Amino acid sequence: MSAAAPAVFRRANDRLARRRVVNHALELVAWLAAPVGVGILGLVVWSVAKRGASQLNLDLLTKPPVPFAIGTVRQGLANAFAGSLVIVGLATAMTLPVGILVAVYVNEFARRPVRNGLGLALDVLTGIPAIVIGIFVFGLVVVGRGQSGYAGAFALAVLMLPYVARATIEVLALVPDSLREASLGLGVPRWRTTVGIVLPQTIGGIVTGGVLAVARVAGETAPLLFTSSIVGNQIAWNPAHALQTVPVAIFELSEQGDPADTARAWAAAFVLLVFILVTSLGARWLANRSRRKLGRAAR
Amino acid sequence: MSTLDATGAPAHRPFAGRRGARVGDVVLPGMSGLAALVAVVLIGLIAYKVAAGSRLALSTFGLGFLSHVGWDPVHGRFGGASFLFGTAVTSVGALILATPLALAIALFLTELAPRWLRAPVTALVETLAAIPSVVIGLWGIIVLGPVLRDHVMPGLHSALGFIPLFGPAGPGPGVFTAIVVLTIMILPIVSSIARELFLGVPPELKEAALGLGTTRWEMVRGVVLPYTRGGIAAAVILGLGRAVGEAIAVAQVIGGVDNLVSWNLFAGGNTLAAKIALEFQSSTSDLETSSLFYLALILLVFSLVVNVVARSVVRRVARRQGLVLR
Amino acid sequence: MPKHGMLVRIILGTAAAAVLAALAVTSAGAASARRSGGSLVGAGSSLVAPAVQGVWGPAYQAAKGVGIQYSPVGSGAGIAQITARTVDFGASDAPMTSDQAHHCHGCIEIPWALAATGPVYNIPGVNGLQLHLTGPVLARIYLGQITSWSDPALKRLNPHLKLPGKKITVVHRSDGSGDTFAFTDYLSKVSRTWASRVGKATAVSWPTGEGGKGNAGVAAIVSSTPGAIGYVSTFYVYQNHLHMARILNSSGRYTFPSVKSIESAAQLVKRVPANTAISITDPPRSAKFRNAWPISTFTYVIVPIKSPKASQLRAFIGWALGARQQKAIRKLVFAPMPTLVARVAHSRLKKIHP
Repeated sequence: MSAAAPAVFRRANDRLARRRVVNHALELVAWLAAPVGVGILGLVVWSVAKRGASQLNLDLLTKPPVPFAIGTVRQGLANAFAGSLVIVGLATAMTLPVGILVAVYVNEFARRPVRNGLGLALDVLTGIPAIVIGIFVFGLVVVGRGQSGYAGAFALAVLMLPYVARATIEVLALVPDSLREASLGLGVPRWRTTVGIVLPQTIGGIVTGGVLAVARVAGETAPLLFTSSIVGNQIAWNPAHALQTVPVAIFELSEQGDPADTARAWAAAFVLLVFILVTSLGARWLANRSRRKLGRAAR
Repeated sequence: MSTLDATGAPAHRPFAGRRGARVGDVVLPGMSGLAALVAVVLIGLIAYKVAAGSRLALSTFGLGFLSHVGWDPVHGRFGGASFLFGTAVTSVGALILATPLALAIALFLTELAPRWLRAPVTALVETLAAIPSVVIGLWGIIVLGPVLRDHVMPGLHSALGFIPLFGPAGPGPGVFTAIVVLTIMILPIVSSIARELFLGVPPELKEAALGLGTTRWEMVRGVVLPYTRGGIAAAVILGLGRAVGEAIAVAQVIGGVDNLVSWNLFAGGNTLAAKIALEFQSSTSDLETSSLFYLALILLVFSLVVNVVARSVVRRVARRQGLVLR
Repeated sequence: MPKHGMLVRIILGTAAAAVLAALAVTSAGAASARRSGGSLVGAGSSLVAPAVQGVWGPAYQAAKGVGIQYSPVGSGAGIAQITARTVDFGASDAPMTSDQAHHCHGCIEIPWALAATGPVYNIPGVNGLQLHLTGPVLARIYLGQITSWSDPALKRLNPHLKLPGKKITVVHRSDGSGDTFAFTDYLSKVSRTWASRVGKATAVSWPTGEGGKGNAGVAAIVSSTPGAIGYVSTFYVYQNHLHMARILNSSGRYTFPSVKSIESAAQLVKRVPANTAISITDPPRSAKFRNAWPISTFTYVIVPIKSPKASQLRAFIGWALGARQQKAIRKLVFAPMPTLVARVAHSRLKKIHP
């Protein structure tokens, strides 16, 4: 046309170049964001691993703490690990039946408005901060009666309930209606259909949900602070008394200035973190596997 | 032809003559209905117990509690204002830091990352959510706190000290450390919800924009973000709820300063949840315990509101998106 | 039979086994606890915590099979918790005020150990050398009237030391504390300004300074803040490698808290009042109190007169009051109680009934 491009095309090219620069700049930012996110995770896990693994020894799991020790004494946090085992175990035993029953009701028996209402209730329960639940259980059970492992387990159970219920609801919904209809059509009573045919299909999902809930709650400190924190230093298994737990022990040790205490806190944090990561990643992998299998079976 | 009635039970039951079947058909819905009732009643019970516990403080201080600064066990005068302020500053600060980062991560995972990278990075970011708050708090006290206190805070103070936010650093970790810790904790929540929202944007819309000649960023800005605006708002609100309710990690790093309301992020402070965690066991009077229940009541009301708002936003968005799809 | 992968079946089996194991262990634990008598739960003073948690707890468990669960949340909280009956016994270094005693609805205080609290410091260049203080000067520091270590008042007391011009960081207790009570009791006796302006209590309106939680908290702040001064009970001095200042007592000597100097101060007790509010701070000038440490204090266990755990409490407290157990805590710098006080303690113990 002519030697110089017309003004209109020149302006369009400038703007295009600018838009491209902006685009590349922001893509770069996004490319950097992910390493930051992953990097923070890596940083925390690395810190805990480095400081915790070096302090890790069998004493941590087998010896009780010896506060106010004069001179060097080999100490551990055996009472905390024992107590955590008991309290989380009890919490799981309390939550699973209730959570499964709630899910059964929501999926098998409830009408739409009730289902929506229960969905809202479960969401609300998830949103209540753990420390408020701790205060609630304190006011309900501890006042007048004293702390106990049962109170702590109950607080954790309240925290776990919506997770177990929701996971079970999801898995129950995956079971095709044709299965139920076939069973009912053959004359199997409703309850037997649900318990004997539908639920067994979902066991994998329930286990996954339960394991994820345990991973979620194994590291919870706040509800245990008011329900199971006045503890002895010997290894104890009786839930009628307050039992020491790993997260509470870490919390208390982290406030001390003594480097020996901090070392034990790191070691316990390492064990706790490994437990939680292994169980939650393992459960998620399992869930993906069984979802893929159920999906294949449904086809 | 359906043999099932509205509730899913067979309309006529040819083999239901056996009594065991009928009993079971009453017991199972009954028991499971009872469990469902328990779940609902639990919420009411929680609200009731927390309110009952705060009755003494409510009658002594009334709503003035919310505006009084200072926590004075010696004279029995307690006020929640410094904690409300601390909670607001730490959670809003964490949201300001976390939201862009979470959105960037979500965009990276949905638009930019090569396919083989997406699953592992997603899993890694979500694993961040699994780390217990007490461990993040421990890391915050020992690792993050000194780094911030010795390098970042003095640097920011000398460079930007004219802004009241960046005043002189206090002795221990403080509000800023708590903000960073909270950012780490809400990052995975916001980013995973944002990622699912971005995945739900209909590809036709995105391709249409790209077909018109937009750059990728312009497509994101013009199609993806507006489409998911409501859901992102809900994710941010849920992140806010999480930040407000976090007691332990914040208690470990924030320094427990009760009696002042200051914009200086580098000084110590306190939040509603952290105060309860720090003080409850060492409360020296019924009035103090009741005032701590009052703080818990504020937290409870706030979390209920957050939940309901987030849910209604999600519902509105779903409705609107349904319209768009049609 | 619906299909499960082998993996899911293994996990199911393990989970079921784990639940059964947990139940077995728990019931075994409950059974054994019933056999051995359970445990006693207490909370309160961090001054007596080394004795209760460090020596008496493990020894009592080994001897009688009863566990002692204790939380050092401070004397003020100890009184509050026993009033609310969330624990079986409370521990406080400060005697209950009449108000607190009334709210406790029939609680009885029993002195069960004798110890001391004292000023600790962290002054670069002076740590490890003997810092001399007097009561009035200490009061002025805590009133905020003396703000630098190079103040002439301090220089006059310490001609042998090179005091730096560092600012004094005053540290006190943020929780309701028996150590605070003993410390402010002493300051009220040696400084009229302190008595009128601040007074003595487990928690006061401190004119200046920052707060630490528990003896451990104050120790941590002092050891990490150059130029700091605080007050902690004697055991924490040794545990945290702190430096205790020497105080001029009324007999003209610079003393240091030790079993002997505390025992000397305790001779001040002539009779025990009905509310067992014994104060042995600042003993007067006398040959008897020549070496007395002026900030010594008794520490009390608080139990309800009527309690479902009365027999266990009587057994434990009686055991702790015994000569052997009182001797066992000497190494934690607890002095033996005067016979008069020990007799009162035993007679009060008899009042507890189920």
